[in-house]
Formats: sequence, C-alpha cells, structure tokens
Amino acid sequence: MVAALCRLLLRYAVLGVAVVLLNFLIPRLLPGDPLSFGSGEGTGPAVPLSGAAKAELQAYYHLDEPLSRQLVAYLGDLARGDLGHSIERPAPVRDLILDRLPWTAGLLSVSLLLATVTGTALGLLAGWAPGRRLDRLLVSVTGALAAIPEFLVAIGFLLVFAVGFGWFPLFGGESVFADYGDGRTGAVRRASNIATHLILPAATLVVVGVSAFVLLARDTAAGLRHAPWIVVARAKGLPARQVAWRHVLPNMALPILSFFGLRFGALLGGALVVERVFGVPGLGLLAYQALRARDYPLLQALFLLSSLAMLVANLAVDVISLRLLARRGVLHG
Amino acid sequence: MAGALTALAVPGRTPVIAATARESAALVRFAWWSDVGVPTPFQVSAVGPGGAVLLSLIYDTLTWKDEDGIIPWLASEWGVSDDGLGYSFHLIEGAAWHDGEPVTAADVAFSFDAYTRHPYRWMSTEVIDSVEVAAEHVVAFQLKRPYAAFIEDIAGVVPIVPRHIWESVDDPIAYSGADRSVGSGPFKLADYDESQGAYRLVANEAYWRGRTVVQEWQQFTVPPEARVQVLQQGEVDITLSTDASVRELFGGDDRLQVFETAPLSIVRLAINTRRPPLDQHAVRQAIAYALDRQLIAETITRGPAIPGSAGVIPPETPWYNPSLQQYAYNADRARELLGGKRYTLDLIADPSAREPELMAPMLEEVGITLNVQQVDAATRLQLLADGDFQLALTSHIGVGGDPDYLRRWYSGEETNAFAQGSIFDNEEFARLGEEQAAALDPEERRELIFRMQEILAEELPTIVLYHRRFYWAYDSAVFTPMETWGGLMNGIPFPNNKLTLIDS
Repeated sequence: MVAALCRLLLRYAVLGVAVVLLNFLIPRLLPGDPLSFGSGEGTGPAVPLSGAAKAELQAYYHLDEPLSRQLVAYLGDLARGDLGHSIERPAPVRDLILDRLPWTAGLLSVSLLLATVTGTALGLLAGWAPGRRLDRLLVSVTGALAAIPEFLVAIGFLLVFAVGFGWFPLFGGESVFADYGDGRTGAVRRASNIATHLILPAATLVVVGVSAFVLLARDTAAGLRHAPWIVVARAKGLPARQVAWRHVLPNMALPILSFFGLRFGALLGGALVVERVFGVPGLGLLAYQALRARDYPLLQALFLLSSLAMLVANLAVDVISLRLLARRGVLHG
Repeated sequence: MAGALTALAVPGRTPVIAATARESAALVRFAWWSDVGVPTPFQVSAVGPGGAVLLSLIYDTLTWKDEDGIIPWLASEWGVSDDGLGYSFHLIEGAAWHDGEPVTAADVAFSFDAYTRHPYRWMSTEVIDSVEVAAEHVVAFQLKRPYAAFIEDIAGVVPIVPRHIWESVDDPIAYSGADRSVGSGPFKLADYDESQGAYRLVANEAYWRGRTVVQEWQQFTVPPEARVQVLQQGEVDITLSTDASVRELFGGDDRLQVFETAPLSIVRLAINTRRPPLDQHAVRQAIAYALDRQLIAETITRGPAIPGSAGVIPPETPWYNPSLQQYAYNADRARELLGGKRYTLDLIADPSAREPELMAPMLEEVGITLNVQQVDAATRLQLLADGDFQLALTSHIGVGGDPDYLRRWYSGEETNAFAQGSIFDNEEFARLGEEQAAALDPEERRELIFRMQEILAEELPTIVLYHRRFYWAYDSAVFTPMETWGGLMNGIPFPNNKLTLIDS
C-alpha cells in the first residue's frame, strides 16, 4: 500500500512538471499575440499603434526575448510564488485570480453538490426498479439533458426566467455599486443579492451535470439490488426506505465520490461558458477574456491553476481507489 | 463641411452648444461590451473604443469636437508655423485637476514626453519630435514632419495627465496609487469594480468648462445576450446594437428611443494583392461585381443597406468622395472579367461572421469557389500580419475621423488590426498619402484625399461590403445623444460626447 502510494505520488510529481511546461508553451503556441488587441464584434481595435510604440511595449513585457529566456524567468518567478503581471490589465495575476476565485469556487461547489445529491437520489429511485416507467423516464430525460450544450441551456434560462418572467437579474454576479447598509442586515442583503444573481448560472450547471450522476447512481443501485446482503436485508422484511438508506446508499458512496472528482474538470469547462453568458465575474470569464486577449501571464496561471486542480482531484480519486482495492484485498484475501 | 474645415485653419472659434440650461439627471447608466481596464491613459484597455471614450469623461485634451467640427478645449487657440512643423497652443486659464491643482503648460509638455516612453495605446504620438513650455500657459510642439491630422488626431485625442502625480511614478503601467485617475475632466472616478468591469464616475462640481448636468455616470459590462433587454428592464439607460431591428422594438415608445449614428463602422474584405490570382486587377473587380453588397448589408443589419464605398471613406462623413466607380451588383460583368476561368479562394473570418455564407453562393455563381476558414480574432490578426491569407473579412471603426488612416493602413506604419493585411503597392497612392499628410491647406488636402479614394476604387486593394451604423437605444428622460462631427475623437460612433453631459 505504501509503495503503491509512493509510486502514485512520483507519477503525479512528473505530471506536475509536464503541466507547468505545457502551460507555459500552449498560450505562446496559439496564433496571435497580446499586443495585437484583437476584439471583433464590429468595433474592432482602433489602435493606431505605431511599430515603434509596439516594440516599446514588447520590450516592457519581455516579449521580445527568446522563448528559453522567458521560460527561465517564468520558472524563477513561479519558484518564488510570483505569477507575474497581467498584460491586458494593470494588476498582478495573483490578485486577479484571488479576486475571481470565490465566485467560481462558490458556483462550482454549490452546483456540484446539488448535482451529486439530486443525481444520486434520482439514480437510486430509477435503479431501484430498473426497466419500470420511472426508470425509463429518468434515463431518457437526463440523457437528453446531457446532450444539450451548456450554452443553450444558459441562453434558454436567461430568455425564459430573466428576460421573460423577469424573476432574475440579466447579468453580473451582484448588483454593482449597490448600498447594502452596514452590519448583519447589510451582509444578509448582499448575500441574497448574490444568490439571486447566481441561481440561473448554478441551475444551468446542475441541469447539465446531473445526468451523469443519475446514470452512475442508477447503474450502481441496479447492480446492488442482487447483492447477497441486500437480498438478506429485504428477506428480513426491512422497509424499502431503510434498505435504501442503510444498505444501498453507503455502498454507492465510493463510486459516486470518485466520480465527483472526475466531474470536476467537466464542470470547470461548463463554468467558463456559463460565467460568460451570465457575466459572473469568476475565473471562467477571466479565462475567456485572457484567451481572447492572448494575455500570456494570466493564461498560463489560469491553465496552471485548473490543471493543478484537476491533478489534485484525480490524485484524491486514485488514493480513494487504492484504499478501496486494499479493502477488497483484506476482504477476499 | 467647408465650415468645419475652416475650424482647422482658424483656431479660436467658439463652440456652438445648445444654450438652454438642461435638466439635471441624477444618474445615467451606460452599457458597453467589455471591461475597459483602469481609466488612466497608461492602463486603459485598447480593445475597442469603450476605454478611450470613458477616459474622455475623466481627462481633457487640447482640442475637442462638436457637431460641426474642431473646437478649442484646454487650448483656447493655436497656431502653426509656415513649414508645418511648429505648433503652439495657448492654454485657457482656470482649468484645474480634480485635486485642485491648476492645469499648466508643464502638464501638457510632461504628458507628451511621458507618452514617448509609455505610449498611449489609442493614438500614436510618434510624429512629435519635442514639446516645450514656451510660457506659463503656452506650449510649443515640434514635429518630425508636417502632419495635417495633428489637431484632430493627436491634440484632440491624446489625454493630458497631471505632472505632479505622474512625475514621481517609475512604472505608470503598473502604478496602483489611489490618485492614478486624477484628470481635469467633467467626471471623477469614484469606484471601479475590476471583476465586473463596472465604473462609477461622479460629477466634478468644479469643472472648469461648465456645470455637469449628470451627477453620476456608471458604465457596465453587459454580455451580448442581454444587451437590449437590460434597457427594457430598466437596468441601464443607454445600450448599443448594430442590428437595425431595435428601431422597431422601441418604435412608439416615448421614453426609450433609438439614436442612429453616421455609418462609421465598416465591414470589408482585405485582399492580399501579392497572391495570385488576386494580384490581377480584373479578378478583384470581378469579386466586387459578383457580390450583391446591398443584399448582404440588408440581410445582416436588418435595416436599410449602405453598400460599401469603393473608396473606403463612408458616406455622410466629411471626407467622402461621392463620385466614385461603385461596382453595383452585376454577375455578368464579373464573369466577363474572369474570362471563363474558375478560381478557388481562401477567406478567413471570425467564427461569428455571417457574411461568408451569403458571399459563397454569389461568388460560386461567377466561377469562384470560396474556401472559408473561421478563426478567432487574435488568430486572424496573426495571419494578416504575416501576409498568410488571400481574402480576410474584417469589421471595425476608425474610418470617420481624419482620413490620414488611408495612408497609414498601407504605409506599414501602423500595427493595428485595420492596417494588418493592407497590402497595396501603388506608387501614386503612396505619394498622394505623403502629400496629403503634409498639406495644411484644407482645399488642397481635400483634392488629394478625393484622388486617393479614386485610386482605391479603381484598384480595389480592399472591398468594402457595407458601412454600418451604431444604434444606441437610450432613455430620453435622462440622456440626450449627440452626433459628433466625423465621430468622437478619431471616428468613434458613440453618442456620449462630454458636451452633452455639461452645460457650458
């Protein structure tokens, strides 16, 4: 077990180094550069920047240096914990990310939690009686939902609930420049303002993310129905609810938990789309803006952050699987 | 137009502004498409015009423009030497920075000096050789070469910054002091929410130019999907669409109205005239005849079409030459010019562009197969900069102000998205470009610019598909839009000229 864990950690360390290098290279391999000011949308960049002025700016941002020297400087900065300075925005990358992180972390954790809980509950219901009408309905509905891109779900929600009914705000993470007042009332007011802004983006992520959990939970539950201890529990005449709570759910926990880690990446991608449509000032919107602007320092930091998050999530899943395997070994060995 | 041009030659003309005292508005909320960075000239975003316009509310320039032409601003009058190299500006007295310090000639000299080390990203000041304080309120510029666009494009666009704040700052691009947005304009920056791209400006009660009629100006970043709805639901007071159907949407509404700007946005094909078969004049002309530009414009803007002028400069603007060859749709003529030959041409365009799908069948009809590659803006700019393209679809503004851009696009002097992909080897055009840039007599310059348009129309190094208006939908209870002569500053179709926000 310890040897396996060491091998695992070594593998992740190698992966980590590869990730850092790739994250440095990928933004620079993209066509375009941070000083070309592309925008599109009919207004275009009206920057009559002279060649000399552009050269000045390139020198200022060290973009005129060879890639190898830029890499060495980047690694040096990174070792000191310095993520550099954004090119598009006059701020340190670290500040920009810390500023946006709570939005994405909040949005992702709430929607991942909701998707997991709802998905597991629905999956359990479906898997309890596979092939029945409820099962068929749930499987086809969630299957269809999984096939709709986040963008369309987001636009649909925006059109129906924000534009049509006017129940929710049209854009943003909160009402900017609002005066919430002081103290606890102020904090509560602000929290509820943020909540009304985030309901539609979170709902989009839940709707798109829930289906995978439904299907996984359904299959696991359906498989468990014939497990000997469940058959025994049922034969004892335990009520269905008690069988589900005490015996089925705990055995579903591990696969669901592992899957939770795997879904993280997909949700991160979804957050990018959803934050842009609803104007939520999170990391996804920041990444979208950084990508359009080819803002290398910001892009490589965001790539690094998301790939490290993925690595950590996967590492957690691997460690859990190791424990699971070890337990099986104990049980059967 | 003649009157407006005289303003160039005879400085000191007093501005014509509605003399009636306007009702004050407590708050006006303006929706724009993107965050525009920190509103200081060293840190503002150069992506799109939103930043330059926001800066104009906080900072002042030497000259400005109203509906009819160039007017004095921080400079009450100015003169130019006979050789066109020396400009001297006499500053008005009584102008003050937001912190109360007076605006002096030293501030002006310092600003332009600072821009040589940290370029203002919205306008090149490279043509300036030196700036000196000649007297307490007189500043003297020496140019490297005569430059007719100087008054409109540089004096009227480049913001003056306070010396007492910036002279001790080593790195203005990274400076984060609380005083970094101190200007002399009608508004002070009160708050900037970087993450949401939102700005709160409050009236400068002591504005030297007159009373501010709007107490608070807010600017928001609104995602494209919600741009019109935010106005309908009362979340903002001014918003923009390039789709003419907003006119019907708000038609009959007394309060919400639509203001149409002059067609200062342009949608055009940049042509690589060095790549066969596009090096052939006849092929370029055939493309122009083959495209039903009227239909393309009507389909996409959903409004009355303004087919592209072959001379690039849009109609309804001061330098437009109305008597050019215009290539009305004629598929037979196109086939004739191609002489029965078939071609396949590559076109690069933005992923959201709908023009290519309309163009492809029109070109197929005359024997040209269009191979469309849709790539994002940064990629497109790279391909254009490398000359790695045949045809490129591009849309932008910047064609309403001083026409010197016609020279700059093709001279290789500019590095922006307008200029990239501008490949045109034509000696007469290049020579006329140099001549007009140095021509200080407006009539002489007008003839040169008209001739340059004729050459463009004949040679077609670019084919303008259509000119486009900006449709600003706004709440008439709090805001009065204003059309600026040739567009705000260097041709920006925005309705919020600061003159409409003050009572001077």
